[in-house]
Amino acid sequence: MKKILIVDDEQDIVESLKFVLETADFTCYCAYNGEDGLRLAKEIVPDLIILDVMMPKINGYKISRLLKYDAKYKNIPILMVTARSQEEDKLIGEETGADEYITKPFELDEVVKIVEKYLK
Amino acid sequence: MIKILFISENNSQIDKFRNIFGKNLYDFDCISDSALLIDTINGNIPDIIFFDAETPNLKDLNKKIKQICENTIIIFLVNEKIDKELVKFANAFVTSDMPEDLITSTVNVNLRMKNALEMLSSSNKDLADSLYRLNALYSTSSQFAGTLDKDKLIQYMIEGMDKALSFSLTSTLSLCGDEPVLILNSLYELSDELISALKFRCVLNFNSIFEGQNLDIETLKVIKHVKYPASRFTFTLFQYDNMFAKISLGDTNFGFVEIFKENSFTPEDSTCFQTIAQQVALPLKSATLYQELIETNAKLEKLERLKSEFISIVSHELRTPLTSIKNSLDILGSGRCGEVTQSAEKFLSMAMRNVKRLSEIINDLLDLSKIEAGKMDFNFAPANINTVIGYVKTALSEVAKSKGLNLTTDEAENLPETQFDAQRLEQVLTNLVSNAIKFTSEGKNITISSKLINASDIQINDIFKPEIKNLSGDYIQVCVADEGIGIDTKDLLRAFDKFAQIENSLSRKAGGTGLGLPIAKQLLEAHKGAIWCDSELNKGSKFYFVIPLN
Repeated sequence: MKKILIVDDEQDIVESLKFVLETADFTCYCAYNGEDGLRLAKEIVPDLIILDVMMPKINGYKISRLLKYDAKYKNIPILMVTARSQEEDKLIGEETGADEYITKPFELDEVVKIVEKYLK
Repeated sequence: MIKILFISENNSQIDKFRNIFGKNLYDFDCISDSALLIDTINGNIPDIIFFDAETPNLKDLNKKIKQICENTIIIFLVNEKIDKELVKFANAFVTSDMPEDLITSTVNVNLRMKNALEMLSSSNKDLADSLYRLNALYSTSSQFAGTLDKDKLIQYMIEGMDKALSFSLTSTLSLCGDEPVLILNSLYELSDELISALKFRCVLNFNSIFEGQNLDIETLKVIKHVKYPASRFTFTLFQYDNMFAKISLGDTNFGFVEIFKENSFTPEDSTCFQTIAQQVALPLKSATLYQELIETNAKLEKLERLKSEFISIVSHELRTPLTSIKNSLDILGSGRCGEVTQSAEKFLSMAMRNVKRLSEIINDLLDLSKIEAGKMDFNFAPANINTVIGYVKTALSEVAKSKGLNLTTDEAENLPETQFDAQRLEQVLTNLVSNAIKFTSEGKNITISSKLINASDIQINDIFKPEIKNLSGDYIQVCVADEGIGIDTKDLLRAFDKFAQIENSLSRKAGGTGLGLPIAKQLLEAHKGAIWCDSELNKGSKFYFVIPLN
């Protein structure tokens, strides 16, 4: 089974994503802050990462950049989830290397579709 | 007394003239030794000099006399023959055998002439003075009109006083800034003791004018401008003539000014001084108001920015919990957690519909706050507006069809490309067409049309005319026409106001946020275009927008 890492400080959102993705036969790993997310990504080397932008400790843009510059992880597709906040606006335009962007609130089915596009 | 000096070496002549002029009206003096002449007239300039033409060195002496007393009447005492050269220097001639009456009348005529000339010259001088002062006043008031800087106004006032009155020192207390400042404009250098004395004098003046208020001498700031620092003023300065004026308008006090001068001031000087001090008060008041206006504006701008930031933060904070709600509803609705009964589905879809609506409101709020804060990024690129019309028609024709409406397009052929943000104009057009669909009943028509139009041919109704100005050149115009319920004339302008529709029950029923049109307006303004509407109640509405053809 393909491994998906979900990184978001909103537990409820992680929970719902985990539920639909597991229903669609994916194995899910969860992290609730940037630091844990980055550590877990390197540890399990998932097949895809769903990454929230605004998080405590390390934000999603930074994690994405760190992984994409590393030959070992650069091929992992990253799906970035944004809430269009002011802080995020300031970061827009920076090279993050994310493969897809999706805005909160999103359609769960759409997320599943995107994930399947990359993993099937 | 009229001073007469008689110059002759001839004693009998002297006696004769002493007889004539040695009477009460005249102050008669005579010199027989011409060597004493210069010393005599130097101390005491006579009105009339009688000059015996027989005196040796007559012409040289005459020249010297003219140098010292140019306004003195010179009468030569001659024998029968007159030396022609003397005519140049003489006011009159008399002969020794002339009758006494004739001599006195010659003197009187000349005296009258001299008085008249002196009066004329003094009037001329007064006139020149007044003209000069008027010029100084005029140029000072022109300077006052040219600035809203309070420090400069005070400076112009002092310069104006210098021009008109040539003072030795001015001591100006300015209350225009954040703290009182004593400005000293001095011809010569001022010692520390003298400055202390001037400060003390200023404080005394302040206390006598503003009863109950205090000016702290210790902290009073002094600015000193010295014209000739090589020389120095002493305390005799306080023996100079001085004038004082308050600079105020109504209840507003800007300070006061005291001016010192070695010679006495005339009443005209005083008028001029007071006029300048009064004249500066009005521009100072304007400058104060202007400054307040700028400060208020800055505050308002800051508030506006804070408001936009607040909306942005709140929107973000709303979006995250909304996502959780939406996801949970989606999961429940999908049946992944068990079968959904018919009544459960009804309430689930109700909840989902409202989540969608809430999410749209948040998006609109964010858009608006971004545009207002100038943070909206536009992606201007050359494109054809008909492409946008095509997209919108495709996207909304299903919705229109489901409501039994006929959505058609009427695009001008061969429309040129122009620079615009296609995504943003699609947003505008989608909003306009969605509104048309919402407010039009079954069986009716909605038409989207486009055309190329010159500014002079654009017809804007009287309601929007004052709002939309400065259109010039060629534009691309898009019109969305419906046969719906229309908008009352009095509500037309308000439709483009933020939140205007929120109060409108109709819009609530139709599910609008009320922000679509205000956003459209802002987006078009960012394109240097315009948006407006013609509408008739129960007949339908026509929404127009134009974007410039580069």
